[in-house]
Amino acid sequence: MAAANPDEHGDVNSEASPHALLTFLQSQSQNTLSRLYQKPSSCLSIFRLLGPLDRQLVMNLLWLDSAIPASTMNAWVTREGRKPYEASLGILSRLHILPSSPVKLALNPTFKTSLRQAITGGGTSGSFGVPAGNDDKHTTPSVEKLDAYALERWETILHYMVSSGSGRYPAKPSQGVLLLLQRSGLMTSPHGAALQITSSGFQFLLYSPHTQLWELLLQYLHMAEERQMDLVEVLSFLFMLSTMELGREYSTEHLSGTQTAMLEDLRDYGIIWQRKASSRRFNPTRLATTLTSSAPPLPTTSGSGGTTQSQGFIVLETNYRIYAYTDNPLQIAILNLFITLKSRFPNLVVGAITRESVKKALANGITADQIISYLTTHAHPQMRRNKPLLPVTVQDQIRLWELEKNRVKSQEGYLYTAFASQADYEYVLDYAKKLDVVLWESAARRCFFGSLEGHANIRGFIERRTAGNV
Amino acid sequence: MPPRRTGNDYMDVDSDSDVSILDEFEQTTKAKAKGKGKAIDRSKPSKGKSKAKEQPYAWEASYTRSWDTVREDETGSLQGAVQDLIARGRRRRLLAPAAAIRRSIIRHLVLVLDLSTSMMDRDMRPTRFDLMLQYAREFVTEWFDQNPLGQIGVVGMRGGVGERIGEMSGNPQDVLKCISERHKLEPSGDPSLQNAIEMARSSMSHLPTHSSRELVIIFGSLTSCDPGNIHDTLEECVKDRIRISIVALAAEMKICRELCDKTGGMFGVAMNEGHFKDLLFELIPPPAQRALARTGGGGVSNPAADLMMMGFPTRLPNTSPPSLCVCHSQLKSEGFLCPRCLAKVCDVPTDCDICGLMIVSSPHLARSYHHLFPVKPYQPVTSLEETPYADSKCHACAAPFPSNPTQVPGTATEGMSLLGRYRCPDCHHVFCTDCDVFIHDVVHCCPGCGK
Amino acid sequence: MDKPSHLSVVVDLSPSQWHLCGQSSNSHPLPLSAFLSQLLAFLNAHIACNDENTLSVYGALPGKSILLYSSATAVPEEFTGPADPNTYRPFEVLDSTMMNSISDRVEALTDLEQEPPIGLVGALTKSLCYINRMSNASSTSTAAGGVQGPVVLPDPRILVVSVSPDESSSYIPIMNSIFSAQKLKVTIDVCKLYGPESVFLQQAAHLTGGSYIYLERPDALLQYLTMAFLPPPAVRQLLSVPTQDKVDFRAACFCHKNIVDIGFVCSVCLSIFCQPVPVCSTCRTKFPIKTLQRLNASKPAAPAPRTPAPTPPATSLPRSQSIGTPRSSMGNGLVAPSPSRNGTSLPPR
Repeated sequence: MAAANPDEHGDVNSEASPHALLTFLQSQSQNTLSRLYQKPSSCLSIFRLLGPLDRQLVMNLLWLDSAIPASTMNAWVTREGRKPYEASLGILSRLHILPSSPVKLALNPTFKTSLRQAITGGGTSGSFGVPAGNDDKHTTPSVEKLDAYALERWETILHYMVSSGSGRYPAKPSQGVLLLLQRSGLMTSPHGAALQITSSGFQFLLYSPHTQLWELLLQYLHMAEERQMDLVEVLSFLFMLSTMELGREYSTEHLSGTQTAMLEDLRDYGIIWQRKASSRRFNPTRLATTLTSSAPPLPTTSGSGGTTQSQGFIVLETNYRIYAYTDNPLQIAILNLFITLKSRFPNLVVGAITRESVKKALANGITADQIISYLTTHAHPQMRRNKPLLPVTVQDQIRLWELEKNRVKSQEGYLYTAFASQADYEYVLDYAKKLDVVLWESAARRCFFGSLEGHANIRGFIERRTAGNV
Repeated sequence: MPPRRTGNDYMDVDSDSDVSILDEFEQTTKAKAKGKGKAIDRSKPSKGKSKAKEQPYAWEASYTRSWDTVREDETGSLQGAVQDLIARGRRRRLLAPAAAIRRSIIRHLVLVLDLSTSMMDRDMRPTRFDLMLQYAREFVTEWFDQNPLGQIGVVGMRGGVGERIGEMSGNPQDVLKCISERHKLEPSGDPSLQNAIEMARSSMSHLPTHSSRELVIIFGSLTSCDPGNIHDTLEECVKDRIRISIVALAAEMKICRELCDKTGGMFGVAMNEGHFKDLLFELIPPPAQRALARTGGGGVSNPAADLMMMGFPTRLPNTSPPSLCVCHSQLKSEGFLCPRCLAKVCDVPTDCDICGLMIVSSPHLARSYHHLFPVKPYQPVTSLEETPYADSKCHACAAPFPSNPTQVPGTATEGMSLLGRYRCPDCHHVFCTDCDVFIHDVVHCCPGCGK
Repeated sequence: MDKPSHLSVVVDLSPSQWHLCGQSSNSHPLPLSAFLSQLLAFLNAHIACNDENTLSVYGALPGKSILLYSSATAVPEEFTGPADPNTYRPFEVLDSTMMNSISDRVEALTDLEQEPPIGLVGALTKSLCYINRMSNASSTSTAAGGVQGPVVLPDPRILVVSVSPDESSSYIPIMNSIFSAQKLKVTIDVCKLYGPESVFLQQAAHLTGGSYIYLERPDALLQYLTMAFLPPPAVRQLLSVPTQDKVDFRAACFCHKNIVDIGFVCSVCLSIFCQPVPVCSTCRTKFPIKTLQRLNASKPAAPAPRTPAPTPPATSLPRSQSIGTPRSSMGNGLVAPSPSRNGTSLPPR
């Protein structure tokens, strides 16, 4: 079970919790979802984004014509499966795939019809994309070309973000992308000046490409609502892209107005490729076709050859030294966020994790866990033999450095001082201790510090006492 | 390792380990060809899948030069070295006898561990003791895998006495448990070969005649502290048909060599860590019944051989109504039903407590059948013309064959197909290198012929 | 997202058995065509669960076995034409490849009087080789094409859909396949659609931790397949799948290929015989005359069909009485198994 041992495969974030898109879908109205479920491709994609148990529950119910009593399904659940099962039912009913009825279980009829159609084929929806006919003038671009294009676009965005702090500005992504980055809070322009990366932007850089992609697309979906675009159209177009075949050309003719408008945006992100803006055909790139899979959405980075890149390139030693086999400026820039670079060779960067470098990263809003998970995800295959993968000393030290930051804790409160006599002081202090609101006390100086919530009581107590004395 | 066939037309010339087997033929050959054994062996390191071949004695090496054990070819690739290993494995299989050989499969073995202070030597890393424990665990696991009906007992030698560490047991978990706790086995004092052998002998005295009795001694000391004449013990062992095999970690001792030679066991001195493991693991495959082979025909009646009646039970699931088992008188739902008297026992293999029938599950027996019916070695395809089935894909895994012959310079190509294709002599289907190895080492069943 | 899993399906395509299975005299007939369409839906569902899920399908035909579909091979030429916008592309490729290769093979079948035994073993070993290669290939170097293989092929499973009865001559190969599956950590699931219970496949499922299901209602095949065989092992821990109730650990003897529950075993090579023999046919060991006489005497007179297992024997024999030699309990007269009650050499059921 993925949730049971999240350490097994580096990407902790995306495994333990449901997919980010599902959370978004759950917030949508039943009407929107029903319209979305009319497309077989959307159903298939949503089905893939579900957790393993959710998928199995859907499959169990898919071929049944009538509803079955919930108790029948319950009987199959093992004792340790009880909790995940309840959670799955919750997710499915929030997605309106399972109507929330405690007695009978049956799939949403629209969803059931569409998913059945997706699996058995047929129908006339054309939801898996209409391929373009043969083009005599131009040859279909090769998969390598599409990969290179997607990579170039995507790295432009990331590189722009990472170097914004340094003052150097490499190639600028398009205006639409910049707006999206700004709206998503990944970058900000203080007082109208040039865009600056924010702390959530730094965190964003350490995510896996898949998570990054969905983060941006979710933001796009939020913006779509404001731009008066039909959310269902936008979503089903994204899902359609995710079920398309890499290296095949598709026709734009059957797209709705909203979807045609989306082409331009998606081109900027590197999700689709078009010969020119007015072209009547488009090609999905690997970013698009892997939207609903766990395959790496980006091909191997240009420059350093071979597949070692996608398998990881970082070697971390117990002496805090890092060897990164890469010549990719983006990766070096990201590493530079939390390590001190020592030397650079044609395909190797050597650096060390130091207190200063980690402090710098922490100051940027990056957390220790994010650093560790980044190192885990990109660990060199050589490192995978180690158990645990990263040296424990380094992991602990990074966490300790983070704790250092949290050494001083501030708490609001009131200082009670200038008591007339030791007896007075002790009397009030006793009362405050009974309320459990004393944070600090000093008998020698006859003062103590009480927390904010206790103040009203203590104040009332002192007032009552002085009033009584008088 | 292939079983060593002895007293026959072929001798394992590939051998570099100084293991010797008592046999008229081999003894004479050995005297001539091997002379003083080890020195010559080392000069022609020809075979071996392990580190044993290129490394000298462990105590000669001041530090481990692990990079010396692999060689790169001109282009810096390791492919040559890998190919070499595969080729050797293939040759070994081709040389192995094609006919089914007899083995005594119901084996009883006592593992004797040296727990004297000499085991704390660090010539093998981390120490002889730690290495021995580690290899002993691997040995037990692998041994039970190949000898499912066997039993292992463990005896330790320390403080001048033999110490029973684990009773004879057929359950690998029991045996592993008794050698898992390092602190209980902490070495001390001197070893006593005689005491340990006597103890092991007594624990095997009650065994039925058709089972083999073996003693495997891991010996690190150069002395033995014995109460009596060890040669008398040796005589007793010969009389009881106990095979003694010794893996020495220090040097060859006359008495050790004699123990093994007289009882028909194997003796070897480990040169280094890898060689130690090789020597130990060579004892895992069931020994061929050499007593029979020597008399020639194989038609003679063997007093050790016997026909046994066995029952194959039915397993009840844990959802069946609970009932009492005959072995512990406990109320349980799962269990095995004796096919003759329908009594319920908790675990197999065992003897039925009611009718005395030996109950085994058929997988227990079947685990050893691949020794009896090995897959015929595949022949390398050398040219494409002779292929009746000119498939472009491996018949088993459907991987396409390389179109061009791959010539790897400077490697052993004997028994290897340059085309990476191997043909089954029976069904004439063609398989790739990976599947060839996998089929012969793991599956033991040709996908083409289905047998 | 969760890890992908690999599924190998071995489909029994024995023409005579499918003919019998599809006959309308059965209470729930299932013709081959209906079976295939349900199977395809199941295979599509497996691919639908995860984009990275891999699949290979083997057909066991009389006397041979073939690879029907593999997700690792490149899409054949004929599918490079325009795609159907209404069908998910991988499904389309899978369905048509499967149907084409099956119809090719079925047409090629000759009308023989005697059908050669089904190539189940071949199909099983091939799928093991395939899984072995996939796990090797992905651990060393990934294939070209930019598709990154997982480090270890996760959760490989084999599903055997069987309609033929046990072929007792294939006992040893099947056992060998089971042990290799155990070594590779492959789960073998068995779906028995028609015909008698399969002793060998029961053992295969039991030993590899899979489930063996005999379909009471073959027409509800798809629901069975999805409920029991679709979930990968991780999900099966949470949502239990139906399992077999009894596992028959019987073996086939080497002499007559009978399936026996009490056999005579050579102590040297462990060959099984259904009756006492003077010489082991495998290793040519001669057995002592005394043993033969003793065994012949204890051997039950007439081979009787195995008594249908009555209620589990509530043996309340105190432990103290069964200590010592087992024979002593017979001497007590408490339990005296009369040979006539117990059959030994059974005809295969």
